[in-house]
Amino acid sequence: MATVLLQPEFARRNTAGQRLVEVDADTCQALIERMDERFPGFADAIATGVAVAIDGQIYPDPLQQDLRPDSEVCFLPALEGG
Amino acid sequence: MLTYNKPTTVDEAVILLQQPQHAARALAGGTDLLVELRSGRLAAQGIVDLKRIPELRALRAEQDGFRIGAAVSGAELGEHATLKAMWPGVVEAANLIGSTQIQGRASLGGNLCNASPAADSVPALIAAGARCTVAGPGGRREVPVESIVTGPGKTSLVSGEFVVDFVLPAQAARGGDAYLRFIPRTEMDIAVVGVAVNLTLDAAGVCTTARVAVGAVAPTARLVDAAGAALVGTTVDETALNALMAAVRAACAPINDKRGTIEFRTHVAGVLAGRAAKIALDRARSRA
Amino acid sequence: MGRYPAGSPGWRDKVTGQANYGADFSLPGMITGRVLRSPHAHARIVSIDTTEAGKLAGVRAVVTAADFPDLPSEVVAGGESPVNYRYISCNAIARDKVLYEGHAVAAVAAISAGVAEQALKLIRVEYEVLPHVIDVRDAMRDDAPLLHDNLYTEGVDPKPTKPSNIAKRTEFLLGDPAAGFAESEIILERSYTTQPVHQGYIEPHACVASVAADGMTTVWSSSQGQFMVREFCAKLLKIADSDIRVLPAEIGGGFGGKTTVYLEPLAIALSRKSGRPVKMVMSREEVFKASGPTSGGVLQVKLGARRDGTLVAAECELAYQAGAFPGSPAIPGCMTAFACYDIPNARTVGYDVVSNRPKCAAYRAPGAPMAAFAVESALDELALELGMDPVELRLKNAAKEGTRALYGPKMPVIGFVETLEAARAHAHYNTPLKANQGRGIASGFWFNIGGQSSAAVHINEDGTAEVVTGNPDIGGSRASMAIMAAEVLGIDYAKVKPLIGDTASVGYCFLTGGSRVTFATGKAVVEAANDVVQQLRARAAKIWKCEVDEVIWKDGVAHPAQGQTDTRTQLSLAEIAASAARTGGPISGKASLNVGGAGPGFGTHLCDVEVDPETGRVTVLRYTVIQDVGRAIHPGYVEGQMQGGAAQGIGWALNEEYVYDDQGRLQNSGFLDYRMPVASDLPMIDAVLVEVPNPAHPFGVRGVGEVPIVPPLAAVANAVARASGVRVNDLPISPPRLLAALMK
Repeated sequence: MATVLLQPEFARRNTAGQRLVEVDADTCQALIERMDERFPGFADAIATGVAVAIDGQIYPDPLQQDLRPDSEVCFLPALEGG
Repeated sequence: MLTYNKPTTVDEAVILLQQPQHAARALAGGTDLLVELRSGRLAAQGIVDLKRIPELRALRAEQDGFRIGAAVSGAELGEHATLKAMWPGVVEAANLIGSTQIQGRASLGGNLCNASPAADSVPALIAAGARCTVAGPGGRREVPVESIVTGPGKTSLVSGEFVVDFVLPAQAARGGDAYLRFIPRTEMDIAVVGVAVNLTLDAAGVCTTARVAVGAVAPTARLVDAAGAALVGTTVDETALNALMAAVRAACAPINDKRGTIEFRTHVAGVLAGRAAKIALDRARSRA
Repeated sequence: MGRYPAGSPGWRDKVTGQANYGADFSLPGMITGRVLRSPHAHARIVSIDTTEAGKLAGVRAVVTAADFPDLPSEVVAGGESPVNYRYISCNAIARDKVLYEGHAVAAVAAISAGVAEQALKLIRVEYEVLPHVIDVRDAMRDDAPLLHDNLYTEGVDPKPTKPSNIAKRTEFLLGDPAAGFAESEIILERSYTTQPVHQGYIEPHACVASVAADGMTTVWSSSQGQFMVREFCAKLLKIADSDIRVLPAEIGGGFGGKTTVYLEPLAIALSRKSGRPVKMVMSREEVFKASGPTSGGVLQVKLGARRDGTLVAAECELAYQAGAFPGSPAIPGCMTAFACYDIPNARTVGYDVVSNRPKCAAYRAPGAPMAAFAVESALDELALELGMDPVELRLKNAAKEGTRALYGPKMPVIGFVETLEAARAHAHYNTPLKANQGRGIASGFWFNIGGQSSAAVHINEDGTAEVVTGNPDIGGSRASMAIMAAEVLGIDYAKVKPLIGDTASVGYCFLTGGSRVTFATGKAVVEAANDVVQQLRARAAKIWKCEVDEVIWKDGVAHPAQGQTDTRTQLSLAEIAASAARTGGPISGKASLNVGGAGPGFGTHLCDVEVDPETGRVTVLRYTVIQDVGRAIHPGYVEGQMQGGAAQGIGWALNEEYVYDDQGRLQNSGFLDYRMPVASDLPMIDAVLVEVPNPAHPFGVRGVGEVPIVPPLAAVANAVARASGVRVNDLPISPPRLLAALMK
């Protein structure tokens, strides 16, 4: 089971306030699909301006990544820089 | 259309500067004028470049001091060993203007006639008791430097008049001068406060004359008589220095602007006066 | 890494003045564009009459907002993060309202700059001047003049019914701060302000645009990303990406400020209307008045700790001014504020606030320096109150691999502790100080990013190679690209020529920013070079009539794999290249990636200052930058990044600020009175490279360009506080401000 961690504001809007969600998925794409089934609109909410951190590494493209059985997944604002 | 003339005599320059259709501006080093023209802050129909007039480019020791052409550059002043030995404060002030590149052009005449309250060389010239020769339609007159600038961007020069040269008297045997300015940076900046001190001592080390001038703390550079008087008759000790600082601060009438506040300028003017006086004192003593 | 010369490809051109920057490009028939700018901080545009300007002899085109598509206000994907193109469009040329002094209102193209400027004076704009607001705190008040009638604060419940200058509220939470503070033995709460500061690049914005009769648009410009310029111009002018080609000029500094467009859309519109190529170059005054500084901010910090120095709880509330349109870096400010430390209970709240100033732009580690100023200043006070060494206090709480960040994930492999240990051991930290001198220490964090990058490596007939990428070289990245390619190919660095392609000659690259190029584009270069190596092995195998597996590539030469006992001679890259036509044609590798796993960067700075107690003047005596750089590909350029960041941060701390009059007009729009440090203001800045490799990069690279601007604000402030006994929490610590504090 991968663990999804969410910030309170995002959770309030998209996951009925749940900040910690366990999801059975072996890719990030599958995880997003599962999340969207449980919390309709979730996929849209992370479609733009959101990066994903999987086990501490931040990826700009959530759909590409594989997950380990115990992966921890965080969604966070996409980052730019100077 | 901008006309550009480069007369080679003073008389020619006086005529060109009077022509109303040109609304001409006198150009020496151009380090202020060209910047203002380019930025559009200043509109002129003509430029009269004074650098081709030999008198304005001459720097010579005379019997009673030095005669410095109004368009002599800061770099040339800095390389003049005897001038620098006699009037280190004046030369240091002139050398503070701009960068190394600017020093190749910037002149005492331009620094004075640009009439900025913050001009570095002006307080030092005033403290040194410098006079300048003004040429114009009515011939030539020699006036104290402090009589030229009347307000920010304003001078007492009438149409056709310009400064030909400066006369620095000989420094007294036990005399010394110094100029200090405050800028937040170390260079490439404009004085937030400038103070010049020129004093002489007698054989016993008592101050016999002192001239103190301030810049950037009033609409024009100012000679502060009370500040000079605070030193005369003293050995320039702590008490005298405190009186000097108080007199300088009392003479300040600065404004709040992007470069500093009234309180800051007034306080720092006193601080710099005290420090400049100590340097001038050391110089006077070492010359004795 | 192999040996390579100290300079970058192209350095000779830069030193001799031959390099072609944005303003250096010219085309036959080219005309000059100039911009009419608002004299008001806030006004409604009642009407614009360009008739007279258009009639002036020599004027070829006049444009206003009416010449640009009226885009909807919507947030869409763009580059790496969401963009509202209406804001970018309305910032490039005002529509209905001007929102700051210097806001572009119209543009003219004429046969000379003089004619263009004359024409600007003939444009009649009728303004209805509106009340304006400059300060972020004033802008947040209920009765503040509103910049946008349709701006409602995002991120608050319930959704507001009244428009506001607060564009967004953001919150990050970890643990239970209230409980954390309840169990704290010491609580410290402080307020801070910072001023907007400009990136201060030496080269002003400049471009040439040429629209052909068939609509094909070509732009030469100095920016941090030719693909960004293409994308933004395509959206703003509704042109297909394929109809715009953008060629990058040499760039004279950007620091984040050239990650958007100002002149390019205007130049395209003018060229389209006039049928001539149009050059536009900003003056320094325009750069200050109309291009983006980074935000100023108002910050409150609360720290809770145990007597032994363990941080238990922390809170930070920050409001960053975005300028005329939403988009301040309040979010990264919130995310970075406590990222250096392992604090179990923490909360940050950020507000993105508009006011009548130029729209802010990115600036090195956007949002982080202000937050670090507040947090690191507060930590210094905490160290003093606890009687602890400030390095020890930081070491006690330092984030390590596995530390959970306030913004969610656990830290990957990082080197923060190593920077602190290096600081403690450094001679600088252990040198005695004299009267009126003080030593400040501060740390800083930046994420660094990856993102989309492409690279191509072409092998030439003579065995030399070209590396083509799509990122403007802003800090020596060409040298790094060549070094990495040379390393993989096993050939001499001098044989690899790094080039920056235009938008039509290389695959997409996200812009040069976020400290991403050596990391992400470098990874693409490594993959493209590996692709070449695969091809070289295949060619060798073909020549040797063996399997590819039987060929090893080492030091630029194909060797038979171990165990192959025959007499085949080795084949050099040059030999394989020479015979490429007979073994399958040109040898060329490429890679296009979306790179993740950027390694977070941490730095610790040491700063010694002397304070003149009579004037408030601060002299920086000594400065040391210590940073985990992952692995330095070109150590000289890495040191340059660290020194440059420190120099800019020192200016931010001591003297840089925007001075407005009561009409909202900027008073110091030039380098004379906008006081960035000059060379003589700074000591030689010592750079200490700590190398904790990033496992997500083949050579261990971490971004390095942004971290070094994060700690200096607090490092300087802490040094001043320790030198003078007076703590100034409002930047800049300019002489008047410090003297006033000293005299209190």
